[in-house]
Amino acid sequence: MTEQEIIEGLKRGEALAFSELVAVYQDRIFNTSLGLLQHTQDAEDIAQEVFIQVYTSIHSFKGEAKLSTWLYRIAVTKSFDFLRSKKRKKRFGFVTALFSDGNRPLHDLGDFCHPGVLKENKEDAAMLFKMVSQLPENQRTAFILNKIDDLNYREIADILKTSESAVDSLLQRAKKNLRKKLAGQINK
Amino acid sequence: MKNKDQNKEERILNSLEGMQKVNAPDFFYTRLLGRMQKEQDRESKPFFLLRPAFITAALAIALVFNLVSLTGFNKKQYKADTVKSNEPTTIESFAKAYNLQSESVYE
Repeated sequence: MTEQEIIEGLKRGEALAFSELVAVYQDRIFNTSLGLLQHTQDAEDIAQEVFIQVYTSIHSFKGEAKLSTWLYRIAVTKSFDFLRSKKRKKRFGFVTALFSDGNRPLHDLGDFCHPGVLKENKEDAAMLFKMVSQLPENQRTAFILNKIDDLNYREIADILKTSESAVDSLLQRAKKNLRKKLAGQINK
Repeated sequence: MKNKDQNKEERILNSLEGMQKVNAPDFFYTRLLGRMQKEQDRESKPFFLLRPAFITAALAIALVFNLVSLTGFNKKQYKADTVKSNEPTTIESFAKAYNLQSESVYE
């Protein structure tokens, strides 16, 4: 099925088109969410939400960008929305704990170990991910899309609705900030 | 020492090299469909105020309230009527009741 056929099928509400969409993009969207959220269960939840959003709002997709660009954009937005709400919940942790079902811990679960990292790099990668999570949102997005999703500058620029030079600048700043943070951490 | 730190920094920054892409968890599609079905069921459930039980209860309360106020009003009316009927009806009292006591039409 081509991208256009998937879009047309989704607009007609065909189950086959939806299953094809999920089959083609589930790994990519899951990887992006995992990189940004650094939590497997949360990443799966957000990836599911991305596909539900696509299913419900496919009629608003005008085709100005590629379908994959649209999907990545939704994934990034949803991931940051989730992180913000998690932060808010943590701030009011005591109050929310009184009313929540208590199944999910609101505190951080410790260092994130990305399942795709080579065995010998696990420790270093955990440290890097910790530093990445402290970067500003746009720098973090550019870094994850480039390093984890292997997207080129053009694709990242389309997702972030910016220029290639702006993406280059974001990545340079991200690396500079990471170096600074790492130097501080190593010297501790 | 500084060189050692820089090497470590560089090593950490390059730790994502050769990273493998991760596959979505098993049964991702099945779980996704399950969640969509669950959300659809929740949406199709009527708002709790529109459930038959609530509507029946609201109607019953309204009916009881109406009956109570109606019987109360009738009792009051009956009382007022009986009091009035006990008073002697005179032309003065009739004129007083209808404010017809003024002598001049220009007042």
